[in-house]
Amino acid sequence: MVMKYDILDSPDFAFLQLTLNQGEQCVAESGALVAQDSQIEVRTSMRGGLLGAAKRKLLGGESLFQNTFISHGAGQRLFLASAAEGDMRAQTLKAGEEFFLTSGAYVAHIGNELVIDTKFGGVRGFFSGVGVFMLRIVGPGTVFYASYGALHPVSVGAEGYTVDTGHIVGFESGVSYRVRAFNGFKGLFFSGEGLVADFSGHGTVYVQTRNASSLVSFLHPFRRVKSNNS
Amino acid sequence: MHFEIQYNPAHSLATAHLNVGESVRAEASAMVSLSSQVDVATNTGPAGRGGFFQKARRGFLGGESFFQNTYRARGPGATVSLAPQLCGSMVVHELGTGPSLLIQASSYVAAPDSVDVDTQFQGFRGFLSGESLFFLRASGYGPVLLNAFGAIETIDLDGELIVDTGHVVAFTEGIEYSIDKAGGGWIQSFLSGEGFVLRLRGRGKLYIQTRNPTEFGHTVGVMLPARSS
Repeated sequence: MVMKYDILDSPDFAFLQLTLNQGEQCVAESGALVAQDSQIEVRTSMRGGLLGAAKRKLLGGESLFQNTFISHGAGQRLFLASAAEGDMRAQTLKAGEEFFLTSGAYVAHIGNELVIDTKFGGVRGFFSGVGVFMLRIVGPGTVFYASYGALHPVSVGAEGYTVDTGHIVGFESGVSYRVRAFNGFKGLFFSGEGLVADFSGHGTVYVQTRNASSLVSFLHPFRRVKSNNS
Repeated sequence: MHFEIQYNPAHSLATAHLNVGESVRAEASAMVSLSSQVDVATNTGPAGRGGFFQKARRGFLGGESFFQNTYRARGPGATVSLAPQLCGSMVVHELGTGPSLLIQASSYVAAPDSVDVDTQFQGFRGFLSGESLFFLRASGYGPVLLNAFGAIETIDLDGELIVDTGHVVAFTEGIEYSIDKAGGGWIQSFLSGEGFVLRLRGRGKLYIQTRNPTEFGHTVGVMLPARSS
């Protein structure tokens, strides 16, 4: 029996509604809860030592906890949202099927056997410089993930495809990638983009149309300047 | 080449579709993704434009860089995807037999080689160095990609209209313009929070944005911890 869910208010302010029956459960990123019916019990846990450590290190002070919502009644509603404005998508994986997500895109998952592997080392070294690391999700189950801005699917073929690392949300297991500085040294300094990932293989890459670091660099000049006298 | 715009109004993405040998120049930080048949070169536009870029580097454009990358298609099916820094729409203005377009610098995203983007445009220079009011002049033929903070409204001007400088995206040349203060006097103008306005007169096309980036920057920026420099 598959749990009922709907993604509402897509694409600009996507909002996830799940309906949980007796004994069903959903795991969500801490902070994702918007509303819930009263017969849902919340258990807070620190999931995965490495996830905790990596998050603490990379996201600076972000909560190390995830919440498990367990239903003790029929038709219990659970509403979840991500922090940034944008879209959301569900990816349903068969047993053993893999999907890759940037850590900040993860919202929630259902399916007790779904594995979220943060030990996926292939990428961490590359991405750590920009504060992003990848999650390897292994089915069976459904993972819900969100974008800042629209969620734009690109189908990668034999010729390959290049994406600014700040715009990567996730990708299917059929593609692999290599990270490089964009347009060499000069590009890194002057072109405005830092790193890009060259994808190859066959599968879909999900791109977000906005990027948090662009917003930060827009806002930076508006910050007050610290006085030298104080 | 042509631009395809998706996800308007809030989270627009523009994809430039290039035929073999065609190229598009785009504001450097706008690049989201590109197909493999595209060659990239970073440049600062044609020679003699250094002065402008140095100004741009000093934050003249409110944090926006004005380095342009040139993307050239070396094979068929080449695409480059571009997005603005903030939430909002994009629009394409076609240049052809009609007048040139004056563009608020941070509203410009991209154009093909057939469009000349003049960064030396003197119209507003030295007028209000405190305001990030800097215009580019686009002439030639072909599509010019513009972005907005918020939605874009297109106004067919026939007569006079007063627009807050922070809401101007672009307007066609031939429209007369002057910078004015919003209130009765300079102090009143400052206190009213409306700052400066453009008084536009004549016939032509005008694009305005429904949010003001400078207002947003000030509103949110002061809530952030102070920076050291």
